[in-house]
Amino acid sequence: MANQKPGKDNFTRNLVIAVVVGVVLIMLVPTVLSKKTNTSAKIPASVSAERGYGIVFNDNLKGVPVLDIYEDFQCPICAQFEKLQGDYIESLITAKKATVVYHTLSFLGPESVNAANAAACSADQGKFLQYHRALYANQPQENSGAWSNDVLGILGQAAGITSKQFTSCVNDMAYQGWVNNVAAAGAKANVNSTPTVFINGKEIDRKTEYFDAAKFKAAVERG
Amino acid sequence: MKKYLPWVGLLARLVLGGVLLAAGLLKYQHLDKSQMAVRAYEMLPISLANFLGIVLPFVEIAVGILLVIGAAIRISALVGGVLMFAFMIGISQAWARGLSIDCGCFGGGGQVKPGTANYLPELLRDGGLGLLAIYLFRYPQSKFGLDRHTSDGDQNNG
Repeated sequence: MANQKPGKDNFTRNLVIAVVVGVVLIMLVPTVLSKKTNTSAKIPASVSAERGYGIVFNDNLKGVPVLDIYEDFQCPICAQFEKLQGDYIESLITAKKATVVYHTLSFLGPESVNAANAAACSADQGKFLQYHRALYANQPQENSGAWSNDVLGILGQAAGITSKQFTSCVNDMAYQGWVNNVAAAGAKANVNSTPTVFINGKEIDRKTEYFDAAKFKAAVERG
Repeated sequence: MKKYLPWVGLLARLVLGGVLLAAGLLKYQHLDKSQMAVRAYEMLPISLANFLGIVLPFVEIAVGILLVIGAAIRISALVGGVLMFAFMIGISQAWARGLSIDCGCFGGGGQVKPGTANYLPELLRDGGLGLLAIYLFRYPQSKFGLDRHTSDGDQNNG
């Protein structure tokens, strides 16, 4: 290298630098844009853009606490939370004692995106809560490849979903844009962990209130 | 002694560049989590933290590649050093304020169970890498690189 003319040497070096920086920039721009909210994305039934694109139950109730639940279907602690508090939260919904908004985040990987998309498809069938429960009951190891869209489609049967429309919605990733919007809204809401529960816009106490049935109930009733 | 310096430079480049490249690629796999990691430091406005969470992995990848192949060594070392300094500030303030977060250095990130965060090894590692960056900025001569001060023989050409 020492024998080469400095000019030629510099040309190669500058070219390499330009290529590296250029390629990284070309990849960066579409990535930044893809994280923006896409307001024209197809959204499932019972979703409210004003409520961070979450799936809402009892949207129009007045004078009841609002629970915002941020979760990732692949997160093991979310499965524990569902096991402990799931029945209680569902009872709040059926007894119309609270507005509950499910935010299905997907930061753990592609299979979280698949699962969130499938959950949105189940909302169209009116079976979100049943499917939500079925997903957690059958939660595999993170990103083990178990939650392909085929499997997620079949899992619909565990939630009593039989329609072909559901399977094609799952396989087509019909709500991928919506999943992205939920993630962007979660980022704006400063959610840094799952599960995260806000009651009337305020996070409950992470040390004590998540995994204690009585304290969680007290937090909901306090509002 | 002087003739070993380019080899030291090569080693410094490969370690600093390799670590940055690995860290950037791991974060790139999970950008949502990278954003979460930056937010969890609670230092920046949320929108800026979210933007930085996306941009940071790309910067790390670019600087990492440049250091490994030995092009623009001084500028890359400077950027790498500034990053390490910023990471150390972030980790120190998280520690001092008693936040329980994953540093998110190699992917991951966000809040962790109170008491499980372990900040000292992270600070020492970033400090060491910062020293390598300072060394490379001061002595960019190294073996097998594309920069002209690359091997000790052709420094006079510059």
